[in-house]
Amino acid sequence: MTKPVKLILAAVIVLFVGAVAAAMFVRRPSESTWVEIVQDGKVLYTLDIADSENRTFTIESADGGYNKVEIIDGAIRISDADCPDRTCVNTGFLRSETIPIVCLPHRLIIRYTEEQEDEN
Amino acid sequence: MKTKRLAELSLLTAVSLIIFIVELRLPNLSSIPGVKLGLANIITVYSAYKFSGREVLLMVLTRVLLGSFFSSNFSAVIYSLAGALLCLAGMLLLRKIIPLNYLWLCSILGAVLHNTGQIIVAVVVMRSFAVAAYYPFLIISGCIAGAFTGLCAQLVLRRLMPIENHDKGE
Repeated sequence: MTKPVKLILAAVIVLFVGAVAAAMFVRRPSESTWVEIVQDGKVLYTLDIADSENRTFTIESADGGYNKVEIIDGAIRISDADCPDRTCVNTGFLRSETIPIVCLPHRLIIRYTEEQEDEN
Repeated sequence: MKTKRLAELSLLTAVSLIIFIVELRLPNLSSIPGVKLGLANIITVYSAYKFSGREVLLMVLTRVLLGSFFSSNFSAVIYSLAGALLCLAGMLLLRKIIPLNYLWLCSILGAVLHNTGQIIVAVVVMRSFAVAAYYPFLIISGCIAGAFTGLCAQLVLRRLMPIENHDKGE
């Protein structure tokens, strides 16, 4: 093993360990119960899911597709979608403060946000 | 381009497309967007050490474009393309430093670069840095998937070596 190869191997190990540490860090649960739903960089909804009644609503995307968003007992998820990969449905409920639910084909993001002033 | 070279490149591209389609049939291993074993990259890694940069670029572009036709997932093309190009650029530089018997190391870095390209495009397309929270998970999966495809590529190399030596003897 030559010196440059050893250096690259060391860099890869550092990268891997760093990524594992970062992954554990971003997994921490959210303290806020406010969620925002963003499509194409625009905020569609901002709501307090702890204070929302159980319901399902549909968000249509520009290309004619849809994502069904479901709120059950203070938790939110995408329950159905017609995107090709359905990764957003498989992600399940939103838990982590930093990791959002994403639907790449429909450019939809659901994530926790800071607590907002109650508008009502 | 010599006819023989053309035939070799076409054959390898076809093989990588077949691997790609077979992998589509496998159930998704994780719920993280962008995470994939990327078995078709066994051929890319192998080719990066066997052919010129221009030739591998042609192969990769063909695979990504035809692959999107076969999977009919057109919205994924831009992610695959960005990932594949960054991965290829990195591997073509690394092949000068990393010898053939450490192919897997080159493959790991290629996979991580692939994921980096995907995340950059995702941030631009989604107009939000929120998706970057997935980057650590993509690095971890890239390291594992890259090591696996790299080791597979080394096995392929070992199998193809006797054939190549036979060809030269003719």
